[in-house]
Order: sequence, then C-alpha cells, then structure tokens
Amino acid sequence: MVMIPSFSVSRRRLLAAAAALPVAAHAPSVLAQNGPLKIALLTSLSGPFASLGESMRMGLQLFLEQNQYEMGGRKVELLVEDDHGKPDEALRKVRKLISRDRIDVLCGVISANIALAIRDVVADAELLTFISNAAANDLARGAASPYIFRPTKTSWMLGHTGALWVHGHIAASGGITLGSDYAAGREYIGDFIHTFEAQGGSVGQSIWTPLGTADFAPIIMNLAAAQPRFIYCFLAGADAVRFLQQMKDYKMHGKVPVIGPGALFDQEDVIPAAGDASMGGISSFHQSPGAPAAADFVRAYQAARGRLPGEASTSGYATGQVIKAGVDAVQGDIGNKAVFKDYLLGNAVGTAFGPMHFDPRNNQAILDIYINEVRPGPDGKPFNTVIHTYERVRDPGPKA
Amino acid sequence: MSYYLLQALNALSFSVLLLLTGLGLTLVLSLMNFINLAHGSFFLLGGYIATQWLASGAPWWLAFPCAFVLTGLIGLLLDRFPFGQFYARTHLMQVLLTYGLAIIFADLMRWGFSADTLTPPLPEILRGGVWIAGLPFPTYRLLIIAAGIALALALWLILDRSLWGAALRACVSDRDIAETLGLNARRIFTIGMAVAAGLSGLGGALGAGMLSVHPGLDEEVLLLALLVVVIGGLGSVKSVIVSALILGFVDTFSRVWLPSFSSAVTLGAMLLILVARPQGLLQAQARTV
Repeated sequence: MVMIPSFSVSRRRLLAAAAALPVAAHAPSVLAQNGPLKIALLTSLSGPFASLGESMRMGLQLFLEQNQYEMGGRKVELLVEDDHGKPDEALRKVRKLISRDRIDVLCGVISANIALAIRDVVADAELLTFISNAAANDLARGAASPYIFRPTKTSWMLGHTGALWVHGHIAASGGITLGSDYAAGREYIGDFIHTFEAQGGSVGQSIWTPLGTADFAPIIMNLAAAQPRFIYCFLAGADAVRFLQQMKDYKMHGKVPVIGPGALFDQEDVIPAAGDASMGGISSFHQSPGAPAAADFVRAYQAARGRLPGEASTSGYATGQVIKAGVDAVQGDIGNKAVFKDYLLGNAVGTAFGPMHFDPRNNQAILDIYINEVRPGPDGKPFNTVIHTYERVRDPGPKA
Repeated sequence: MSYYLLQALNALSFSVLLLLTGLGLTLVLSLMNFINLAHGSFFLLGGYIATQWLASGAPWWLAFPCAFVLTGLIGLLLDRFPFGQFYARTHLMQVLLTYGLAIIFADLMRWGFSADTLTPPLPEILRGGVWIAGLPFPTYRLLIIAAGIALALALWLILDRSLWGAALRACVSDRDIAETLGLNARRIFTIGMAVAAGLSGLGGALGAGMLSVHPGLDEEVLLLALLVVVIGGLGSVKSVIVSALILGFVDTFSRVWLPSFSSAVTLGAMLLILVARPQGLLQAQARTV
C-alpha cells in the first residue's frame, strides 16, 4: 500500500524530467552559436609525459593570451583535459568533451598510441582535431582522416632527413644505430636506415634498449670498442639524459658524432638536464629555438617561463596559430568546416616551427626540417643552432 | 681483458645501485613483513632532496645525510599515521594503502619539484673519471660502489648480527611473546620504518647522480627493488645482497652480449631462480607473502 503512491510519485517525476530533457539538450547548442568558441586541449599532465604536457599547455596558453583569447571575432574558451598518458583515459575524456562539453575543436595529444586510440571517435563525430605532437607515420597514412589535421612532423620526416644529412656530411658507412625498443624507436631507426641505404650507404649494427634503461654503461663500452664513425640514436626524456651523461662519464663525449631525431636533444626536455653532455649533438627536427620563424615566440616564452622552448611548447603554440588561421578564415563560424579545411589546405600558415602547408591527401603538415647542432648559445649554454634547412619536407603519405 | 674487468665493474656498480634501491624495501618487507609500495616515492624524494641540496651550494657531502634524515622523518610521520595501523593487517590491505599513497606522493612531488628531468649538479671532485687498466671509469660510480658496500655491511651487522636486529625479528615473528618479554614492539617498528624510509631516501640521493630524477622514477625503482627482494627471498640482508649481485651481473652482461633481449634474459633468470628456489636464494624458513 505504501509502495504504490511512492512509485507513482517517482514515475511522475520521471516523466517531468523526461519532458524537460529536450529543452535542456537544446539549450547548449543554441548558446553555442553566440557563446565562446570551445577549444579543448587533451594532453598529459601526469604520467610519463607530464613534463611535455605541461609545456604544451603553456605554449598554447601563451598564444591565446597574446590574442586576448579571441579568434575570428569570437571569444575562445580553453578546456584542458589530462589523459594521464593512457589511451583508455584519453578516450573517456574525448567522449566527455564531445558529448557533454560540446567542444568545437580538439587539439593536443602527446603520444601516438593515444592519437590512434581517439582517432575513430573524433573521425565519427567529424570533430576538427589537431594532433599537435604525436609522430607515428600511420597517422599520415592509413589512419588519416578528413577532419584530423597534423600540424607536426611524422617519424619519417625526421628519420629521412637525418639519413640525408649523415650520408652527405658525416659518413656513408661504419655507423651504429641505438634505439629505444618501442614503436617510435623502431619507426625512426627504420626510416633512417631505409633512406640511408637508398642513398647507397650501409649501416652496421643496430642496438635496441628497453624504454627506461637505467644503465647504458655496458652499451657505451661496446660502442667505445666498436669505434663507429657515427651513432644514430633515438632516445627521449630521461633515457636521453642518462645516455648523454653516461657517454660523457665514459669519456666518449665528442669522440663519435651522435645524431638523432630532435627528441634526443630537445631544448626544453633534455638539454637543461644533460647540460654540457649534449654539446656537439646533431639532430633533425622541425623545431629549433634558433629558427628565424621562432624568434618572437622564443622571446615571449622565455619571458613567461624563464626557459627556452622545446618541441612540446612550440607545438602547443603552433597549433594555436593554425587553429586561429582557420577560424579567422571562417570569421568564427566554426560550423563551416568545408571552408575552414579548404583554407588550411590552400594557404601556408606562418608558425613558430616555420611556414606550414598542409598536404591535401592526408592533412599532414609539410614542414621545413632543420638540422640542429648543439653549440654554445649567446649565454654559453648549449643551444640548438640551425646549421641546415631541408625545405618543405613531405611525408610519402597514404601510398607509402 | 681490461674490457671485461671494466664491464665487471659496471655490473658491480649496477648491482650496488640495485642494492641501494632494495635496502629500504628489504627492511620493511622481509623483516617487518610490511608491503610498502610507496618505497619508490621515498627513493625519488631522496633524489630530489639531494638534487636541491647540491644545487644550493651547501657542502656537497651533506646532501646524503640530509636526504637520509629528511626521508627518515617522513617515514616516522607515516608510521604514526597510517602505517602503524596496518602492520598487523593482511598484505592486500597494505598494498592498497601504500599504492594509494604512492600515487598521492607522485602528484605532490610533481607539483613541488616540477615534472622536468633533473640532474644533480655534482661537485668537480665526483665528476671526473679514473683510468683503470687503460679504460675510463667514472669516479661517481666508485663512490656508489663504496657507499653501497659500506651500507650493506652495516645493515647486515645490525640486522643479522646485532641484538637490536634480533629484537626486530622477534617482534615480527611473534609480537605477543616479544612484548611479554619486555620489548616495546610498537617503538621497534617505528624505528624500523623510519630507518627504512631513510635508507630509501639515501639510495635515491646516491642513485640520482647516475639515474637523474624525474616523475616515474619511483615506479621504475619500485619494480627493480621488488625484483631484488623477491629473488633474494625474505628474511635476511645477506640474501638481498646476493640477489642484487646476481641481477646486476646478469643484466649487465646480457646487455653486453644481447642488448635487445636483456630484459628477457634478466627476467628469465629470475624465473629460473624462483622455480628452482621458490623460497628465495638463501631462504631457510617459509613465510607467506
């Protein structure tokens, strides 16, 4: 007897709630027309890439502040989500951003496995997405998608140019490769060897070491014994710092040229910790604090954070520049995706990396790739100095 | 010849590093029978303290005692709450508690010391290298080897040979009887916890010069430490020393000969040891974990 009235009350409430739902669901979309442009940054603020994620956020925020949080005549609201460096967490956050926050643009993403994990969800939602940092080749090939832009490099663009430089300026044979044994390491080293051999060179031994190697000493002693003409090396973060410092500890620093993709000598992530042990290192990279295009950004970033920018912070800033170019072209009407896309595909955008074109086949950035050498900067500290530029390097794209 | 001598020294320095990561954990896990998954956090905190100390320009050698004392103090506080309430609980409860704390500590340290990779600015005297049989060897690794041997020896004497160690072990194996005999078990555990935390911090301070410090090092170290302690078997410091040596040498020489498979070789060796000696290398009596 008591049960029935209480049931009917809750049913009535349920009906009332259901009736209110369409109104509630409509409200945000009506607001969205006049409200702020919602840009979400998905990045790693904890987990193994926390340092990169923080830098990326600082870079993007710096850009937005310089533009008073305004693009194409509209206010910009920035939503920052932490993916913890985990694909499942990233996916959960992206679903939330799409369905609850109703964002207009998604950007960020440090690691390639996260980019691949969220790819289907953002592609199905036709959400304008900018993968700012992840380098996996497949993102520009099999996994490319009409509304996913990649304002950054692919592994191939760095491995390929690194091989051209080493073959032309260092040695055509007698080198050793050393790589972190995971997807990115395999890709960089593989692309390096492929181009190097296509140039007529030959590479000696390939050494692989697990991610998070504590002690490089046994490998370094083998390198010392082998006396290679160069070492092509992909290591990132703490691995890179340990390797460079231990090379110095074992008096190998300066004896053999060490070349790698830019992560090995990242200006923000590696060089401050590695110090003088990074001096003389050569890297192929789409970013350099010494690039003329980066000058204004480098000054502003130094003023804001008291240090030189590396790849992650520059990619945050450059992503902001690319998004602004597109939003300006549609005068804030972000629903007009076709015009937005056509503008980016048809016009070069000036970014802190350098001039950026997009490849119409896969929305992959075509970038100038710098050969950086770590030399004493104006203050005597190690500084990535541009010694050569490969202009407009384009990934082989979907057919490769 | 000199090449293998140097690789053996590399193996020895890596063994000592493993031992340094394992010492604090040994004390709590094998002697106090408390699973402390926040062990890596103490190690990382010690590393950060040493890095800050060395950067401050104060006398460099004080960095190590300073790391020991400060992390020891944190251990003391944690023993008051909440570790003290968990010594007598099941292992699963201890795992949940300490793992949760490890995550909180990781966030706090990222907040306090930044997410960047930091290297301690070592004084000139430790930076250089010495020539051994015509090949270079870093001075800092000699310091690590010396410090590790001294610490291991001291710990072995105190825990396996002294009355104080016997008292600690008595409190673990039968707390009621030990207390009946007049031992203050609660206080002994408190001292044990503080010393263990201090040792982990000291390990971190010494290891920082070789590993550099960064968020995530805590997990990396915890894994190594668990390997060392579990292979050694619970119950004595001696077994941990032996297992650190075995792991260090197997790992280093698998890197020398088969770098791509070094992890597989090392873990394979661990598997074989566990299959052959399920109680650990030097273990005599059984205890459930």
